[in-house]
Amino acid sequence: MTLLLLILAIIPLIAGVVIKIMFVPASSGIDITGAHIFFTIDLPMGGLPITEAQVNSWLVILSLFFFCLFLTHDLKTTDMSIRQLIAEWIVEKVEGLVRSNMGEFFICFAPFIAAILGLSACSSLLTLIGLFPPTSDINIVAGWAIMTFILITYYKFKAGPWIYIRSFGEPVPFLAPLNIISEVATPISMAFRHYGNVLSGSIISVLVSALLTTLSQLIFGKLPGFLGEFPFLRIGLPAILSIYFDLFSGCLQAFIFAMLTMLYVSGGFPEDEYFKRKRMKEAKRKQQNVQLENTNGGI
Amino acid sequence: MNNLDIISINIWQIIISLANLVILFLMFKKFLFAPVKKIVAKRQAEVSALYDEAAKTNDEANSLKSSWEDRMKTADEDADKIIKEAVEKADRRSEVMLYESREKAETIIRKAKAEAERDKADAQEYIKKEIIDVSAAMSSQVLGREINMEDHRNLIDSFIDNLEDNA
Repeated sequence: MTLLLLILAIIPLIAGVVIKIMFVPASSGIDITGAHIFFTIDLPMGGLPITEAQVNSWLVILSLFFFCLFLTHDLKTTDMSIRQLIAEWIVEKVEGLVRSNMGEFFICFAPFIAAILGLSACSSLLTLIGLFPPTSDINIVAGWAIMTFILITYYKFKAGPWIYIRSFGEPVPFLAPLNIISEVATPISMAFRHYGNVLSGSIISVLVSALLTTLSQLIFGKLPGFLGEFPFLRIGLPAILSIYFDLFSGCLQAFIFAMLTMLYVSGGFPEDEYFKRKRMKEAKRKQQNVQLENTNGGI
Repeated sequence: MNNLDIISINIWQIIISLANLVILFLMFKKFLFAPVKKIVAKRQAEVSALYDEAAKTNDEANSLKSSWEDRMKTADEDADKIIKEAVEKADRRSEVMLYESREKAETIIRKAKAEAERDKADAQEYIKKEIIDVSAAMSSQVLGREINMEDHRNLIDSFIDNLEDNA
C-alpha cells in the first residue's frame, strides 16, 4: 500500500517525461520559446491552448496528491514511521512559518502557503528531470498572483468597505493614485518576479551551453570524425549552473512567493479595525437579542 | 506556430492555474494538514491522559507511603509496649514460680527429714533387738546355761540406755 502510493506519486513525473519524448519535437541549437502547445480548445477570448506548462502543472498536482496520501495514509500515535515524521515536520514547519509571519489569526492559511510552496518549488524543480517548468510560463504564475491579490483585497474588505477605500488616502489623500497603482502592481510584480527568475535561468542555461558548444567546436574542431563534433566543454559547467538556477533559484523563488503572499495578506489586513467592528457588531446583536426578549416578555 | 511565445497572456490559462492552486490548497488541507493535526491532537490527548494517570498514581503512592510511615511510628511504640508488658508478666511469673518451688523444696526437705527421723528410730529399735538377741545367745553360751530371757532383756536395755545417755 505504502509502496503503491509512492509509485503512484512518481508515475505522473514519468508520464511527463514520456509525453515530452512522444509529442514535443527536440529543439536544436539555440531556441528560446514558450511552452509547446499540444492542442487548442476553442473558447472565446483567444481559445485555450493546452500547453506543456498546463500539463506539467497538473502532473505536479497529481504527484503531490499521491505524495500526501503516501505520507499520511497510516498515521499512528506511537512508534511513528519516518513518513509520519516527515508529514508532521512539514505541517509543523509551515504552521510555524505562518504563525511567525502572519499571526495566530491567519493560521488557517497554512495549507494555502504549503500549496504555494509545494506547487512552485516542484514546478521549478521539474527542470531537473528535463521537463518544461510551468513556473516559467507567465500565465501560471499570474494565476497564483491573482489569487494572492484576491486574498489581499478580501482581507482588506473584512473591516468594511469604508476602511478599504480610506486606506488609499493614506498618509495624504492626494497620494491616492499612487496607492492604487501600487495595489495593482503587487500581483503583477509578484508574477513577473517569479516567472522572470525561472525563465531567465533557462535562458542563461541555453546561452551558456550554446557558447560552450561554439567554444569547443573552435578548440576541438580539428579532431577527426565524431570527436570534432562532440561539445567537450559542455560537460560539467552547465551542471554547476543548473544547481544554482534550477535547485537554488527554484526553491528560493517559491519561498519568496509564499513569503510575499503572507506579508501582503497580513499587512493589508486592518486588524484593529476588524476586531473593533466585530465587537461592535456583537454588542449590537446582543442589544437586539435583549430587545427581542423584552418584547417577547411584554407579549 | 507550435510553441507559445515567451510572453503570451491567456486569460483561460490564468484561470486554470488559479483553480489549480485552489485545488492543491484544498487537497493539502484535507489530505495532509487535517490528518496530521488530528493525529497530533490525539497523541497530545493520550500524553496528557498518561500524565494525569501518572500524577494520580503518584498521589496514591504518596498517601500510602505517609500512612505506612504513620503506622510504622505507632508500630515502634506498640512493640515497646508489648515488650514491656511481656517483661513485667514474665517477672511476676518467675517470682511466683520461685516462691512455689521454694515452698515445694521446703516441704520435700521436711518430709525427708521426718522420714529419716523415723528410719533412724526404726533402725535403733531393730539394732537394739538384734544386740539383745545376740548377747543373750552369747552369754548363754558363755555361762553354759539358759538364762532368763526376761531378765536378760531388761539388763541389756538398761545397758544400752546407759550407753545412749553417755553418748
